[in-house]
Amino acid sequence: MSETQGSGIKGQGSGEHTEVRVLGDGRYQVVSEGRSTIAYAAAGNGGTWVFLQGRTYFVQTEQPSGRRGGRADDELALSAPMPATVVAVNVVPGQQVARGDVLVTLEAMKMELAIKAPRDGTVRRIACRAGELVQPGVPLVELE
Amino acid sequence: MFRRILIANRGEIAVRIIRACREMGIEAVAVYSDADAHALHVSMADRAVRIGPPPASASYLSSDAIIAAARDTGAEAVHPGYGFLAENHDFAFACANAGLVFIGPPGPVIQQMGSKIAARQLAARAGAPVVPGETPADQRDESIAAAARRIGFPVLLKPAEGGGGIGMKAVLEEAGLLPAIAQARREARAAFGDGTLYVERLIARPRHVEVQILADDHGHVVHLFERECSIQRRHQKVIEETPSTALTPALRARMGEAAVAVARAAGYRNAGTIEFLLDMEGRAFYFLEMNTRLQVEHPVTEQVVGVDIVRAQIAVAAGQPLPWSQQQLSQRGHAIEARVYAEDAARNDLPQAGPLLLYREPSMPGVRVDSGYAEGGEVSVHYDPLMAKVIASGETRETARARLLAALRTYPILGIQTNIPLLLELLEHPRFIAGDVDTQFLDQEGDAIRARLVTDPPPEVLAVAEQAVRAPASGTRASATTDHDPWSVLRGIRV
Repeated sequence: MSETQGSGIKGQGSGEHTEVRVLGDGRYQVVSEGRSTIAYAAAGNGGTWVFLQGRTYFVQTEQPSGRRGGRADDELALSAPMPATVVAVNVVPGQQVARGDVLVTLEAMKMELAIKAPRDGTVRRIACRAGELVQPGVPLVELE
Repeated sequence: MFRRILIANRGEIAVRIIRACREMGIEAVAVYSDADAHALHVSMADRAVRIGPPPASASYLSSDAIIAAARDTGAEAVHPGYGFLAENHDFAFACANAGLVFIGPPGPVIQQMGSKIAARQLAARAGAPVVPGETPADQRDESIAAAARRIGFPVLLKPAEGGGGIGMKAVLEEAGLLPAIAQARREARAAFGDGTLYVERLIARPRHVEVQILADDHGHVVHLFERECSIQRRHQKVIEETPSTALTPALRARMGEAAVAVARAAGYRNAGTIEFLLDMEGRAFYFLEMNTRLQVEHPVTEQVVGVDIVRAQIAVAAGQPLPWSQQQLSQRGHAIEARVYAEDAARNDLPQAGPLLLYREPSMPGVRVDSGYAEGGEVSVHYDPLMAKVIASGETRETARARLLAALRTYPILGIQTNIPLLLELLEHPRFIAGDVDTQFLDQEGDAIRARLVTDPPPEVLAVAEQAVRAPASGTRASATTDHDPWSVLRGIRV
C-alpha cells in the first residue's frame, strides 16, 4: 500500500529543495535540506489539512465561491463562527454603531462569543433573536 | 466489589473510568446522547444506554434518565466523573434512594462543600486560612454590587453552585461591575441552572495549588500531595503539574495537613480536592474551595505518587479501606499534563466542531494520553471542548517537559484546529521553564504568544498538500479533487 513517490518542488523563493514521500495511511515523509520529518495530511472542507511539527494547516485547494471585498467581509464578521445560541441582541435597526461594539452575544460550548461591528455604521436589519440556534455563515445583523 | 458500574459521563473521563472497571473485572455501562451514539466511550463500554437528545440538560444532566438506565442494566453503582452531575447533591441523594452506590462523597457533604459560604466556614473552623467573600442573600444587581464594594475591588464573581471556572468574571473596578454581574448570572444559569452569584476578593497574581485527598469509611484520610494549576485561560486550567515549583517541603506539609483537616471536618468520603490560592511570595495560602469529585488533572498525581485514584475511588465506594497509609505515599519524579482543547488558539480560542479526518495519539516512553476521541469520530458543538489530556512524566521536571513537547509535536489531529500550537509555545516559554507562573500568566503573555501562532504554511506543508492531492488514495479519506489537475488545483492556495 505504501507507494513510494518522490516529488520535488521548489520552496518559496529560498531555493531549497523539498522531497515528499508517500508513506501511506495519511503519513508523508518530508525531506528538506537533508532533514527528514513526518507530516500527516487528510482531505476535507474543500482543501487539505496538513500536520507538521505540532502545527495544523489548512490549505484551500478549491476556489472559494464567496465574493471578496467590503460586503463579503462584513458578512463573515457578522456571522456566527460556529453553530451557537443567541444569548442577547444588543442593537436595534437604525442604531448607529462604532467599530468594536458588541452587536450580538452568542453561546457555544458553554462559552460566550461576541459578534462585534467590523466598522462604524448603521444597523439596517437584525436577522436573529434571543434563544435562537444559528448556523455559521449566515449574517446575524446587516449594517448600512 | 461491584459487578457492574454505570458511568454517568462522556468523553475522556468516561473512557478513563471504563478502563479502571475493565482492570478490576467490573462491567462498565456507558450512557450517551444522540450526538454521542458513535463516541469512543460508547464503543468501549460493555453496554451502552441512550439517555436523550444532544443538549446536556436533556441527557447527561438528566438524573431521571441516568438512574433509569442504571436500574434497567442492573448496575450497582454510578461513577459521575467530573462536571455534569458530579457535584449535584440531588443526584447523589437520588442514587441512594434508588439503591445505587454513588461513587463520591455522601449527598450532605456535597451539599455543604458545594455551598461556597458553608465550605469557607467549615475550612476556617478546621484551621485553614480563607479569602474574604460572600453570597449576597439578596441577588439583585444592586445588592451584589454593594457586596462587591464592601469586599473591595478587585473582586471575582462566581456561580454559587458552580465549579470548573465556568461563568467566573473578574471585575477590577466599579465601572465594569453591572455588565459583569449580568453576564456572570447568564452563564451561571446556562451552565448550572442557577444564577446565584458569589462575590470574592480577587487575590492579585496568585498561584493555584490544590491538594488531592482520599478518605474511606474506616476513618482514614490521606493526601496525595499538590498539583500546580496556575496556567489557566478564563479560569479554565490548561497545563497542570506536580510537584509545584513554588512549594518548600515545609509549606507542602502544612498544605497537606490543612487539606486533611478540612476533609476530616467535612466528614468526607472518597476522592476530593482542596483548592488553595498561594500568594506571590509563596508564603501564605488560602482555602479557595473543595471539589467533591475526581479532577480532570488527577493523572499527574497518579504518575508521580504511583497510585490509581479511580481504582481507589471504586474500592472505597465498595466499603474497602484505603489501599495506602500516609507514610506509604511519596512523590517520585515529575509529571506535567497538557489539556488538548478543540479550540483554534490562533483565532482567540474559537471553539471548533467537526469530523476528525485523521487522529493519531503519540506513544512513547513516559507519555500517557487520556482521550475521548478516535479517528473518524466527531467533535460536537454540544459539549465541553476538552478532547484529551497528554501527561508526560520523568525523573526531573525538565525531562517531563521535553517528553511533553515531543509528544505534542507528534499528535496529529486533522479536520479541526486545536490548542496544541499554544501548548507548545507555553511549554517553551522562558517563564514556564523557570517555573515562574501565576494565574495571570496567560492574561499577561497570551497576546504575545498568540501572535506567534499566526503563520503562513511553510514550503514543506505546501509540498505535502500537493502530494496529498496528487495521490489521495494513500490518505485516509479519498479526496474529491482527484479528477482535477493537481497543478491547477493548487493555484490560488489560501490559508
